[in-house]
Amino acid sequence: MKKGWPFKRMLGPGGLGRSDQEIREELELYLELRTEELMEEGMSREEARHEAELRFGDPREVERRLRREAGRTRGREGGRKMMNAIRQDVLYALRSFRRNPGFTLVAALTLGIAVAGNTTIFSVLDEAVFQALPFPEADRLVFVNGVHVTEGGIGVRMASVPEFRDWQAGARNVDRMVGVQGVSLTLGGEGPAERVDAELVSEGYFELLGGEAEIGRTFTPEEASTPEGYPLAVISRGLWERRFGADPGVVGRTIELNDRAFSVLGVMPGTFQGVGPEVDAWVPLGMISVIASVETLDARGARFLPVVGRLAPGATVEQAQAELDGIARELQQTYPDSHEDRFAQVQTFRDGYLGSTGRLLWILFAAGVVLLLVAASNVANLLLVRSHARTRELTVRRALGAESGRVAGQLLTESVVLALLGGAVGLPLAAWGISALMPLLPEGVLPTWVEPSISGRVFAFTLVVLGLVGIGAGLIPAVSSARRDLAGSLKSGGRGTAGGGAGARRVFVVAQVALALFLLVGAGLLTRSFRAQLQVDPGLEMEGVYVFRVSPPAERYPDDESLRLFADEIVRRVGTVPGVGSVAASSDFPFRGRSSGSYIVRPDAVEELIRYHRHSVTPGYFENLGVRLLAGRTFTPADDGEAPGVAVVTAAMVERVFPELPEPEAGVGRTIYIGNPSDPENLAEIVGVVENVRFRNLTQDMMAEPNSPDVFFSILQVPTRTHEISFRSDRPLSELLPGLREAVATVDPSVPMFFPAALADAYRAQTAIPRFAALLMTVLSGLALVLACVGVYGVLAFTVGERAKEIAVRRALGARARVVAGDVVWSGVRLAGLGLMVGSGVALLGGRLLGDFLFQVPAADPITFLGVAGLLLLVVLAAAVVPAWRATRQEPVEALTSE
Amino acid sequence: MSGSDLFTGTLDLLILRTVLGEPLHGYAIGKTIREGSDGILSVEEGALYPALHRLERRGLLESSWGRTDTGRRAKFYRVTEEGRAHLTAEAERWEAFSGAVATILGETGA
Repeated sequence: MKKGWPFKRMLGPGGLGRSDQEIREELELYLELRTEELMEEGMSREEARHEAELRFGDPREVERRLRREAGRTRGREGGRKMMNAIRQDVLYALRSFRRNPGFTLVAALTLGIAVAGNTTIFSVLDEAVFQALPFPEADRLVFVNGVHVTEGGIGVRMASVPEFRDWQAGARNVDRMVGVQGVSLTLGGEGPAERVDAELVSEGYFELLGGEAEIGRTFTPEEASTPEGYPLAVISRGLWERRFGADPGVVGRTIELNDRAFSVLGVMPGTFQGVGPEVDAWVPLGMISVIASVETLDARGARFLPVVGRLAPGATVEQAQAELDGIARELQQTYPDSHEDRFAQVQTFRDGYLGSTGRLLWILFAAGVVLLLVAASNVANLLLVRSHARTRELTVRRALGAESGRVAGQLLTESVVLALLGGAVGLPLAAWGISALMPLLPEGVLPTWVEPSISGRVFAFTLVVLGLVGIGAGLIPAVSSARRDLAGSLKSGGRGTAGGGAGARRVFVVAQVALALFLLVGAGLLTRSFRAQLQVDPGLEMEGVYVFRVSPPAERYPDDESLRLFADEIVRRVGTVPGVGSVAASSDFPFRGRSSGSYIVRPDAVEELIRYHRHSVTPGYFENLGVRLLAGRTFTPADDGEAPGVAVVTAAMVERVFPELPEPEAGVGRTIYIGNPSDPENLAEIVGVVENVRFRNLTQDMMAEPNSPDVFFSILQVPTRTHEISFRSDRPLSELLPGLREAVATVDPSVPMFFPAALADAYRAQTAIPRFAALLMTVLSGLALVLACVGVYGVLAFTVGERAKEIAVRRALGARARVVAGDVVWSGVRLAGLGLMVGSGVALLGGRLLGDFLFQVPAADPITFLGVAGLLLLVVLAAAVVPAWRATRQEPVEALTSE
Repeated sequence: MSGSDLFTGTLDLLILRTVLGEPLHGYAIGKTIREGSDGILSVEEGALYPALHRLERRGLLESSWGRTDTGRRAKFYRVTEEGRAHLTAEAERWEAFSGAVATILGETGA
């Protein structure tokens, strides 16, 4: 690169005056001679010239000052002076980093790692919490959840259609309310049967979500709501391409959904997002018969419909909630039977989609910020030490005429440049972190539109964070240098001016230990909670158990008898597939999230309704899952529709329903009513008691639903439409699938099998979120621990160096090495102890935030606190050993005579 | 602004002292100060020139264009009588000042 005259640019078009030329010539000679001098030291000409210019400082600044001396300073130089100063400071900073690669590496890595952690978490948080939802006016969209508010706090998030219509008619603060029933339908007709996700929607659905058909049109209000009126379907762009080869004349063509013919009305654009993820077809709510009887539309007790709506302009969630509370109370009075304890809960779309995951993300983000604080205080510490070591250099610069503000500005610039170097390390690391992190997140934890990346916003966030860290970490050294007593520095040869800086460094170390403890406690609590969940005995033998779901359509399997035959045949056929052992059918299956509940009553206390979870199973069910029988028997093929009603219950059920019995086994022989006690058909005798089993959710079973015991019925007596077919096998699922498909097709080719899975995988998915949270927190706190350790070591090592003379004198006067070393270690332990106390206090307060996410571990868990404090103390001791050892190795004479 | 700083005068003194013996051009002055101070004064070498020009304007230095040993055109600075007197006075003041500071620091420092 040709090095031209650096002043040319700023002299402008006015040309050079005579003295301008002289100034130029004079300075150029200096640079030229300096270059030659540096070349003699072995640099190439270019390097030498570059170095000469760097050392010279900004020539433009020098030139400007010369011209000011000459009394010819032009105006409007303020901004330029600033820019020049910054440029010079940056160059100076880079040069000084090049001279101290070790310091630079440690500081940049420290910041880089912390920034990477922070940016990674922010990228997820930003997408999930801040990014606009993929709907127009998304911040006004709400879920209106039908809930049962009882002591047990059970929430059923659905409404019945009459209830939905009452809300719709009464709520002024929600100007559009739409019922959306997400269902899985069998798509038939031309081509193979396929399972598609569809939504049954009431009028106004597409208007609410802001979607217009790309081809054709969407439903009119009449089409959407008339019972059995209009068998029409709007399909997704994906289905249109897949199923119809993107036929532009698709409108009017017929598709079969659950064996019913629907006429295609329109195609939605690929960008359209339904309420549920990946919806392929929309059908009028009036066509409810595709999944249930048409009477469902009028049944006040048939609560199956999720409701969404849009807040009226200016209305708030609170106003809408208050209004719906009023409506719910009126309904409770009008329909005391079907609306007891019923309320409607208004929830923003974001809260509805994110659930508690949003709070978890905020907690993890806060942990990232804490890690960043630890890193920043570490870097501030390094800078302080460095500025101390550079006291002489800085003093001389000031003596040579640099204003004290400029020196402080220089130090600040250095730390900002350092922060940017950290960013250069951290951003690629964050990009890697995102790609490593996302696969760890189980599906369904985050809404489908959350796709974290280093977006513009994330990048801007990182830059702002880096700027803040740079300024924050550089401020203390800068201020302390500006205050430093110059004469004292010169006099004492640039030593012994540590006063203010040393105090700040100790504060940093205390803060680091406190923050590290805070994070470690969080990680410890989450890890112990996760461990506790792993240790929950679900009461099942999970290895080698597989399951898939089939749902015979109501048209061809209209009654109990046909369903029974279907189930029999499926079980028999699947049993003939090579590699498949014993087969069972059931209405639901552990960790597959589909158990249905209703009410049972004791014959001697019919007024008390006890909510329970209902399971219909074939005789082989218990054996396949390895559920132990405590007393009585399980089902036999003789427990059919003709035989008296029988039930198998869990030990917890007996304890809940018959608390007077001395032991669960004594429940055998008792009777219960399943539903209305006035009908003797509803009476069932308990013939067996099995051990407790965690069917739905590892943690919630024990914590949230103590009032909802499990009751099993013979599938022959209480039939089900949806069948979970489970079986044992020692082969991998993929090997079995073709045979299973064939077996199902033999029974009925139009019935697809879906959700095939290994039970062990479904179980593992249960612990995915706690695993994820515990893992991330452990990584963050581990990094904080390392950084705190570095911080403690740095301060102690520096103190030993600083006190070398004092230590030497003490040694010369006869102090034992052990005493001197003990002193150093003790000063470290004192700092750490202070940090531990502060950190424990903070963690006790902060731990409450984790409360909801902790399972069987109290937020103030003494084991976690003591364990973490012990670990930190050990690490601090280890960090203190080397400086202590060094203190004892110092030669007294050498220390005393060295400057 | 910089004039108000207590130590701005230090560089002036060093320059005056350097050119006391013989006329020197800027580079030679810088090099002498640099080498005479173990390289400590190597930072912001450019600050030399504003100081030179300031001293010249105040009449403590005078300059003329001449040739270096290698025949390059250069501006040589030489100390004036006024400069010589200034150096003597300021050097005394400096010694008195730094002596006083040293005494105070000696009492309280390590």
